[in-house]
Amino acid sequence: MLRSLGNALASSVGRKLVLGATGFLLVGFLLEHLHGNLKLTPIPGLGDAEGEKFDTYVEFLKSFGAGLYLAEIGLLLLFVAHIVIALKLAMENREARKQGYVVRSDRGAKTVGSASMHVTGALLLLYLIKHLLDFRFDAGFHESPAAFVAETLSQPVQALIYIAVSVVIGIHLSHGFRSAFQSVGFSHPRWNPLLVVTGRALAAVIALGFAWIPIYFLFFHG
Amino acid sequence: MSDESSGMHLTLEIWRQDDADDRGRMETYHLDDVSPDMSFLEMLDVLNEQLISGGREPVAFDHDCREGICGACSLVIDGKAHGADAETTVCQLHMRRFKDGDTIHVEPWRANAFPVVRDLVVDRSAFDRIIARGGYVSVGTGSAPDANAIPVPKDRAESSFEAAACIGCGACVAACPNASAMLFVAAKIAHLSHLPQGAPERDRRVLAMVDQMDREGFGNCTNHFECGAACPKGIEVETIARMNREFLSAALRER
Ligand code: FES
Repeated sequence: MLRSLGNALASSVGRKLVLGATGFLLVGFLLEHLHGNLKLTPIPGLGDAEGEKFDTYVEFLKSFGAGLYLAEIGLLLLFVAHIVIALKLAMENREARKQGYVVRSDRGAKTVGSASMHVTGALLLLYLIKHLLDFRFDAGFHESPAAFVAETLSQPVQALIYIAVSVVIGIHLSHGFRSAFQSVGFSHPRWNPLLVVTGRALAAVIALGFAWIPIYFLFFHG
Repeated sequence: MSDESSGMHLTLEIWRQDDADDRGRMETYHLDDVSPDMSFLEMLDVLNEQLISGGREPVAFDHDCREGICGACSLVIDGKAHGADAETTVCQLHMRRFKDGDTIHVEPWRANAFPVVRDLVVDRSAFDRIIARGGYVSVGTGSAPDANAIPVPKDRAESSFEAAACIGCGACVAACPNASAMLFVAAKIAHLSHLPQGAPERDRRVLAMVDQMDREGFGNCTNHFECGAACPKGIEVETIARMNREFLSAALRER
């Protein structure tokens, strides 16, 4: 039973299901990550300019001890599964039409988001490594988190990179969210228009939310 | 509409390839006096007559019913499978959709799983092999059953019928940026699985047909939805989501 389920998940449809499901979970992570990060900026009830709420949040997460490491491993597995499957699919898809069309024209169903998933995905992977090196694996962050972030993101080059990446996430999600529903088998004429709108709105909220943090440190902080 | 002097003058850029091993190339042809009332295939017939009388090889292309029901015709016209018209096969496309002086590009379906046999003809037997793996239902072979012996809810009958409109032409594969066959396979699964007659093989069908689809070397669907937009029979991409569901539950139930 497990073997046949494994085979099924390794098929084209199975991998699509896993890609969609991991995508959903990663969106969930992104939302909580955004919620935590917004504590770095003065938003009534959420964060403050001194970063005290953010530091408290970091302490709170660390209080889970081994639990936090477990969660991090889970998260890592999610990312790895999502990325490995996506890379494999992209490579196979490239192979599936070795001889291309001389003249190619689509019918407008394809979007900027859908057509650039592999590009935005690859950029996000590179960024993910940089991001982990910047904060997760830098001792400075763990000494005084909020102050360290403030120092990093008030450097224009860093801030610009973080702003640009927020846009990339937005483009990725503009297709990803709607697409994940289809992949896990949810599609209904009554709900599909709502899914498209919700997906784009969510992409915009996540992009603007994450972009706000470097913008704040670049222009409004200190 | 055709003016008295002559019909349209067209420049045709057509893919020519002697056989599967030939590299192939686009060749240019000029055609005068094309009636706007001709179908696209009739226009190609005229071109071929012209080529034959000039002692040249006619352009090979697939066609059969010429009334939009068999799925044999399969041309990519100016980059679009079956041409620009919505829900129209090439055989139902008319020259009045083009303008005098137009240059028209004609290519075969492009996908590794559909190798070119000659010129515009591709080998679509991959689809036949997918059907052979599960696109059937088991029936008793006694005397003919009574009509309406098995009640079928109306909405089920309709959704099954919509999926059954698939003529297996392969435009979904041709139009998909990834050369994926999921719309075709999903339609073939749906039209049987939505009916009680298709229930006995339901799980086996979806697993086997997806397996064969993967073996044939089609690409993977990434939800561009170009297939649904290109389908001459208007099969909805929702059908693919349904196949994904069906596949998951079959995989979970499998022993
Ligand atoms: S020739 Fe039969 S569908 Fe076009």
